[in-house]
Amino acid sequence: MTAPLHEPTAEAAPSAIEEAAAVGGNAKPVQGRSLGRIAWERLKRDRLALTGGAVILALTLIALLAPVISNLVGQDPDAYHEDMIDALFGTPKGSLGGINGDHLLGVEPVNGRDIFARILYGARISLLVGFLSALVAVVLGTVFGILAGFFGGWVDAAISRVMDGLLAFPQLLFIIALVSVMPSDMLGMTGSSVRVFVMILVIGFFGWPYIGRVVRGQTLSLREREYVEAARSLGAGRFHILFKELLPNLVAPIVVYTTMMIPTNILTEAALSFLGVGVKPPTASWGQMLSNAIDYYDSDPTYMVVPGVAIFITVLAFNLFGDGVRDALDPKGSR
Amino acid sequence: MLAYLIRRLFAAAVMLVVIIMVVFGIFFLVPKWAGVDIAASFVGKQADPAAVEAVREKLGLSDPVHLQAWEFFKGIFAGRTFATGGDVVHCSAPCFGYSFKSEQAVWPVLTDRFPVTLGLALGAAVLWLVFGVAAGVLSALKRGSLWDRSAMVVALAGVSLPIYFTGMLSLATFAFGLKWFDAQYVPLGQSLGGWFGGMILPWITLAFLYAAMYARITRATMMEVLGEDYIRTARAKGLRERTVIGKHAMRSTMTPILTMLGMDLGALIGGAILTESTFNLPGLGQAVLNAIRNQDLPIILGVVLITSLSVLLANLVVDVLYAVIDPRVRLT
Amino acid sequence: MTTQRTSGRRKQALAAAALVAGLLATAACGSSGGGKTSDAGYDAAGNKVVNAGTTKGGTLKFAGTQDGDSWDTTRSYYGFAWNFMRYYSRQLVTYKTEPGKSGAALQPDLATDMGKVSDGGKTYTFTLRDGISWEDGKPITSKDVKYGIERQWAQDVLSGGPVYLKDILDPNGEYQGPYQDESADKLGLKAVETPDDKTIVFHLPQVNSDFPQMLAMPSASPVRQDKDTKSKYGLHPFSSGPYKFESYEPGKSLELVRNTQWKDTSDPVRKAYPDTVSVKFFSNANDMDQRLIAGDYDLDLSQSGMSPQGRQTALKQHKGNLDNPLSGYVRYAVFPQNVKPFDNEHCRKAVIHGADHLSLQTARGGPVAGGDIGTNMLPPTVPGTEGREYDPFALAGADKNGNIAKAKEELIACGKPDGFGTTIAVRNNKPVEVATAQSLQASLKKIGVDAQIDQYDGSQTSGIVGSPSNVEKKGYGIIIDGWAADFPSVQGFGRPLWDSKYILESGNNNYALIKDEAIDELFDAYAKELDEGSKGRIARQINHKVMEGAYYLPFTYEKYLNWRSSRLTNVYMTDAYNGYDFISLGLKSSK
Repeated sequence: MTAPLHEPTAEAAPSAIEEAAAVGGNAKPVQGRSLGRIAWERLKRDRLALTGGAVILALTLIALLAPVISNLVGQDPDAYHEDMIDALFGTPKGSLGGINGDHLLGVEPVNGRDIFARILYGARISLLVGFLSALVAVVLGTVFGILAGFFGGWVDAAISRVMDGLLAFPQLLFIIALVSVMPSDMLGMTGSSVRVFVMILVIGFFGWPYIGRVVRGQTLSLREREYVEAARSLGAGRFHILFKELLPNLVAPIVVYTTMMIPTNILTEAALSFLGVGVKPPTASWGQMLSNAIDYYDSDPTYMVVPGVAIFITVLAFNLFGDGVRDALDPKGSR
Repeated sequence: MLAYLIRRLFAAAVMLVVIIMVVFGIFFLVPKWAGVDIAASFVGKQADPAAVEAVREKLGLSDPVHLQAWEFFKGIFAGRTFATGGDVVHCSAPCFGYSFKSEQAVWPVLTDRFPVTLGLALGAAVLWLVFGVAAGVLSALKRGSLWDRSAMVVALAGVSLPIYFTGMLSLATFAFGLKWFDAQYVPLGQSLGGWFGGMILPWITLAFLYAAMYARITRATMMEVLGEDYIRTARAKGLRERTVIGKHAMRSTMTPILTMLGMDLGALIGGAILTESTFNLPGLGQAVLNAIRNQDLPIILGVVLITSLSVLLANLVVDVLYAVIDPRVRLT
Repeated sequence: MTTQRTSGRRKQALAAAALVAGLLATAACGSSGGGKTSDAGYDAAGNKVVNAGTTKGGTLKFAGTQDGDSWDTTRSYYGFAWNFMRYYSRQLVTYKTEPGKSGAALQPDLATDMGKVSDGGKTYTFTLRDGISWEDGKPITSKDVKYGIERQWAQDVLSGGPVYLKDILDPNGEYQGPYQDESADKLGLKAVETPDDKTIVFHLPQVNSDFPQMLAMPSASPVRQDKDTKSKYGLHPFSSGPYKFESYEPGKSLELVRNTQWKDTSDPVRKAYPDTVSVKFFSNANDMDQRLIAGDYDLDLSQSGMSPQGRQTALKQHKGNLDNPLSGYVRYAVFPQNVKPFDNEHCRKAVIHGADHLSLQTARGGPVAGGDIGTNMLPPTVPGTEGREYDPFALAGADKNGNIAKAKEELIACGKPDGFGTTIAVRNNKPVEVATAQSLQASLKKIGVDAQIDQYDGSQTSGIVGSPSNVEKKGYGIIIDGWAADFPSVQGFGRPLWDSKYILESGNNNYALIKDEAIDELFDAYAKELDEGSKGRIARQINHKVMEGAYYLPFTYEKYLNWRSSRLTNVYMTDAYNGYDFISLGLKSSK
């Protein structure tokens, strides 16, 4: 696969994060400041990360308010404007892919749909799949990671083997295969919602071992620490220890991995739509727009550049923010 | 060491079996559940039910899944014979069966396409290792400098761009626009220059993405290593800076890089789907993408097997290399 | 990326007179381009020969985005593959190598004449030429022809190709096919006799006026028993024509070289100018078109038009290298009557009136690359057509942007004044199909018809839209599809679509489930009718019945924009294959 489904920065980071979590656990009494507090102080000084965060916020708002905004500019993402199209070539009339006062980013070739409106709606798909598939991965990864680390023995062996196996899978291949053989209607859903649902599940499923491995390692080292021993000797139940004592100390690495996983998932969704197994038309998706735009790379470059840049900005913002979060949570960090 | 190797190899074999079962499951159970009849897509437009039934028989689709999987396993090691309607074909080991679509044997397809993908992955890996690691080391040494900041901005941009987008841009610009490269695949055996001309854009595009990742990691790891005690000790002993960096710091830095290289190479060898489809390279990735679209199970199984095998092997090699590079690591 | 361009079934057309001429002719002479030649220029090869020449040698280079469905003569259903197969296969009769309409007329190939017809049209007797041979020099015998035809019966091993001969010669399915044939020579098919190596006799249980057309299909080519590799035959067919397989890597490349055993004196049809014929397959249509324009390749194998990008570059800078022929296809939407509310004629009419026909045409590529707005279901390439004169719904006239008022009236008559919801089924492997579905979806929204688009796997057609029960289950009220004639007659075009006898549980093509006795009777009458004028009249009657039933919404009579390189000689479009006649192409220089 060429889309970096595993974000390698995450591969190298564990040592730093393990430290962060470990120190986080110990830091409370010594410095009297919570890890979150320290991290926030650091993050506030990181202008790049803040910019990334601001862009993410803005994108989220755009995605949520897509219908409102497209109403404001008076454009429907699915409405045809064939008067904007040169009938012979199928490309938009006018320069720059038909950009004018009505169509802020021009129109699509052949049917003349407003690109600005479609980009807004496309953000919904990208962010929805990006966030929710990360959520699936986090939930699965945390649960199985804690179980493996806490119980050890055959539970650990079994879960670890499954995780190794999933990591050795040719993932993009499996995701394409799974998404393409899924039925087009299930659980009362039809059309694009099925595909979005399937993508979230499948991308999330292949993401959990990355988080699972870290959580397992963390749990392994944490469960031997004094405060866990203390809780245990006080007669606390297993679940109390798991969720009250261990989980809070796993928050830091989980947060770091989540922020790094979201942009990867967004890229995967775009790649699937690009390969034609993503959302169904007329639902707008950036990857699908790029895939259509190939036919017009020379005659209408605007159509190719706009969704490409949209993906770029979004993923860049998440990466900037993710870097900032990692640095902020890393006690040895550079800032 | 030997015991370790044997154990790892055994685990890898088990893993492969599991992967094959999963692929079987995906392509036989899910379509059944979805109500799609694979056999029906292999008969013409005037197909009568008898022909569909015959195709089902021929493809072995009416056998229980476990039987089909067993036949497949057997074929790999002992060969197998296909017989339907008077058509008897023996497929000798290693037999991966015949493509549902084109009727060609799968094994030659794999061996034919493998070098393309291997060439793509190895060529790009050389580029990204050289440029990625160099950029990362320089950035770590000159932290905060203009070089560091611009390199890291480029690297961040690199990991944030979809490869098919950079691929299309580079094709549009350098191949179709400026006409610097032909960007058309020519087998190495046919013409060295032609092969090079066809591979250079895919190499650069693929390497750009990975170099960006590697630069970021190299920089982070190097900075961490430079803060370690033993580096300070080395410097205090009065060793020359070049020796400290080149001999001591680099060794530790390379460990995580190697891990990644193993995984990335393994995955790429199994098919750089997006790169190959963007640049029209006749490699495994292109083959498997077409096969998925055609539900051509034997080809998919073959490619998945090769991919998984290369990921597992790459990981094994990396683990062994650890012991060589890093004296602290023991294989037990 | 991979833009797939599926060229579907056989696409072709034939002059009405051809059939009778063919039946009655006792001898036909080999034909060259004749006097109709012209210089290169836009659409110059439409019905004339461009760059007439007789230079031999060189490599003719095809490029394609899609491999043939099979290169086994028995197993292919792609029009471009049938066209290409003439390089390495011969038939008893084949199409004349002439431009335009006359290219769709039949002439003898392996046979010395068009066959002697006796027994009231039920018996055909052919005599083979002298000097015809296989690529190893052995002569082609009538038994090889019979064996090649028998292979159609082995559908369990050799699925995929047309089975007209099987249906006509053995309607009750008595013969088991050559692979399960008990007789020693494997030639147990009773309806075909080979009294000696030069003679072959066909006995038809019933008269069928289109029989010679079926003999001209590649699926009636000779195959030699000792060279029959069964399911693997398509990887290396044994040549009876002027070229033979040198190498073939599916999905990558194909190369043919001269068959030195082939003699031009024995072949009135094939000129065989180039020394080598090569095909290179691309996964990226833009990439391929760029290389066609750059001159790296000579023409598109699939003959299905350029990609939007290539089209634009070519039209602006190399207009003289383009031709703009009809593809033979009608593109349309069809309304299955087992999906409510399309059981009601008025709801069908509401959709026909509500659709924006101009928008659909634009979605299909506009007037040049997409085609003219279709006005009825009999395309202009099938004998009996009235072309765009017959436009019962004013699709290309007053209502070309749709007529919302009329649509609303029909909705009221249907009892759905507020519209209804339905699903459009469309194959997923071509962007233009999806674009068409989206256009229809957008215009139907305006009359209150809320249509969901469901894309299905194009390779699964027979089990998805070809299964009426599945269509009903999924609620596919509108299916987007296209159709071209397997051979040029209303029978070859419309019978699978409109005859109630052709409704099948799976692999059905009568998507609308038309059960109209009048239409069925007209088809029976057609098969027995030998008079061309009457055949044309019956074709028109069938077409009118179909349109009056409002089962279909035609979109376009499809056109393509095809590239021809300046290197080529003897370039012309033939109505037999609705593309360039591959077998006549040569190169200006042998380099």
